[in-house]
Amino acid sequence: MLTGATAARRARELGTLVGLVALAALLSLLTPHFLSVSNLLNVAEQTSINAVIAVGMTFVILSGGIDLSVGSLLALAGVVLAAALRAGWPTGAAIAAGMAVGGTCGLVNGMLITRGRLPAFIATLGMMSIARGAALVFTSGRPISGFAASFRQLSTARVLGVPAPVVLTIVVYALGHFLLTRTRFGRYVYAIGGNEEATRLSGISAGFHKTMVYVLSGVASGLAAVLLTARLNSAQPIAGINYELDAIAATVIGGTSLSGGVGTLHGTLIGALIMGVLRNGLNLLGTSSFFQQIVIGIVIITAVLVDSFLKPAAK
Amino acid sequence: MMKRTLALVVATALAAAGCGPRGEAPKAESPAAPRVALVLKTLNSPFFIDMERGAQEAARRLGVNLTVQAAEREVDVDKQMQIIENLIQTGVKVLLVTPSGSKEIVPAIAKANKAGIRVVVVDTRVDPQAAKDAGITVDSYIGSDNYEGGKIAGRYLVEATGGKANVGVLEGIPGHETGDQRLRGFKDAVKDAKGVKIVASQTANWERDQGFTVFQNMLEAHPEIDAVFSANDMMALGAVEAIAAKGKTGKIKVVGYDAVEDAKKAIADGTIMGSVAQFPSEMGRVAVETADKLLKGQPVPAEQLVRIDLVTKDKPGSAPGAKQ
Repeated sequence: MLTGATAARRARELGTLVGLVALAALLSLLTPHFLSVSNLLNVAEQTSINAVIAVGMTFVILSGGIDLSVGSLLALAGVVLAAALRAGWPTGAAIAAGMAVGGTCGLVNGMLITRGRLPAFIATLGMMSIARGAALVFTSGRPISGFAASFRQLSTARVLGVPAPVVLTIVVYALGHFLLTRTRFGRYVYAIGGNEEATRLSGISAGFHKTMVYVLSGVASGLAAVLLTARLNSAQPIAGINYELDAIAATVIGGTSLSGGVGTLHGTLIGALIMGVLRNGLNLLGTSSFFQQIVIGIVIITAVLVDSFLKPAAK
Repeated sequence: MMKRTLALVVATALAAAGCGPRGEAPKAESPAAPRVALVLKTLNSPFFIDMERGAQEAARRLGVNLTVQAAEREVDVDKQMQIIENLIQTGVKVLLVTPSGSKEIVPAIAKANKAGIRVVVVDTRVDPQAAKDAGITVDSYIGSDNYEGGKIAGRYLVEATGGKANVGVLEGIPGHETGDQRLRGFKDAVKDAKGVKIVASQTANWERDQGFTVFQNMLEAHPEIDAVFSANDMMALGAVEAIAAKGKTGKIKVVGYDAVEDAKKAIADGTIMGSVAQFPSEMGRVAVETADKLLKGQPVPAEQLVRIDLVTKDKPGSAPGAKQ
């Protein structure tokens, strides 16, 4: 029984990877511009922001929750970071401030959900609006721009030819993977998502671990804000609109179940890459943005359809 | 199981790729001709659809191999940057761009510069300081003088209200060069009319539905408002609905900007008094002509201003769409 379930999950994971490879193969046939080192690095760089947010989102969804506030947290963390940089803070301190803002908002999300017993959907929906408003109030609606070259290195630097945001994303995934598979915290996240009541009854502080999951998601949004601000040399209070949906899409395409307990981080990374490659490929082919939205929608539905096809096999 | 997964994903990918070229660029792929890309803020606004039409017509006439792309949302600066990065990969020779953000576009232009692509900026200017700091090169700017347009709107509002009005202003997105200049021009024009007071000024983010709610609230707070200046027509049209909902149609004079199709209808109906017309299709035409010159190694002017005009009920003839 157990092996059947594991096999089905493996098949699903492999299916996602095969999907990515097939997509890439197809695009390299359709356009000569797709399969070049510079374009592949370009795709990786473009994917990095969504991929980093999706790390937090994967933890949240694995625990059986949802975080709709990530796009707004990105905006709020971004403008705080930018204001700190403009005020002459050292780069490291400004980045820490931005990530702390994300983490603090995440902590509030977590407390509302565990202590206040609000559904995650409602708590983070409220936070989505509060953080967006706070970012707008904080900046009077204006973007904050123009930073030192040392900060912009986070976007422009290359490590052995690989763009810095890509390197950072790989590091984040490595850390996340370690946290999820090699620590007690990671096992509890799966357990809470699988059966929260049973987890609680077995003496694990489900509330604490659940709260930490939202803190993690907030910090990931803060980190994504650092990447986006360095990339555009500007932080906008209206940045990150709909980014929560992209992050959820990457997570779901990557095989994480919205009902919690099932999924992996490498699946999410592949999910984010599928979205990035699709957008890039459709751009290269000169497809309109209207059509791109249809395609992304089809891919999300396809991925979940595959899940539901595989479910009977898991029984 | 695996096979089914595979089949589904590949089918999706095929559907995606197969429809792509047919959907958007049917005539394009003659690989020999150097390619020109026009990157718009969005394609879900009549203004940019007009611009695209002007550009396509010019491209056909001059035999320019033109690709047009746009982000879904006007404010999505990162998506616009991604589109530009992707176009750089396809080896375009000239980039024509309407920046979604005056400062945020700078890193993308820097990348194009680095790839040896000539850059022409259309409609929204690049922030001069940010451009200088980054050391980017823009070959030409094509657009209309938004400050002058704001002044035209202001002078007209003074004239239409007989120099006595309590004005509510609907602003564009803050920090957005285009809206800021229109507002500055408007304020400078009404400054000397003692009877004209700006009693409220708020952003409705260029959008029609926000124009409705923001103006509705403005009207609650300031029932004395009897004139509106809106930095674009979409917000003005929203305000017109809010005025109608309040039963004040005809009592509040609305001046908009852009003279889009719906606004021209509203002008004919008398719900909007006037709107400053830009000529986006001319911007598109001049942009492609400029690209053609750059490809031929000819010099281009650093700045090319396209005419602006006021559309009112008495003179609808000068409206951009009127010639069709």
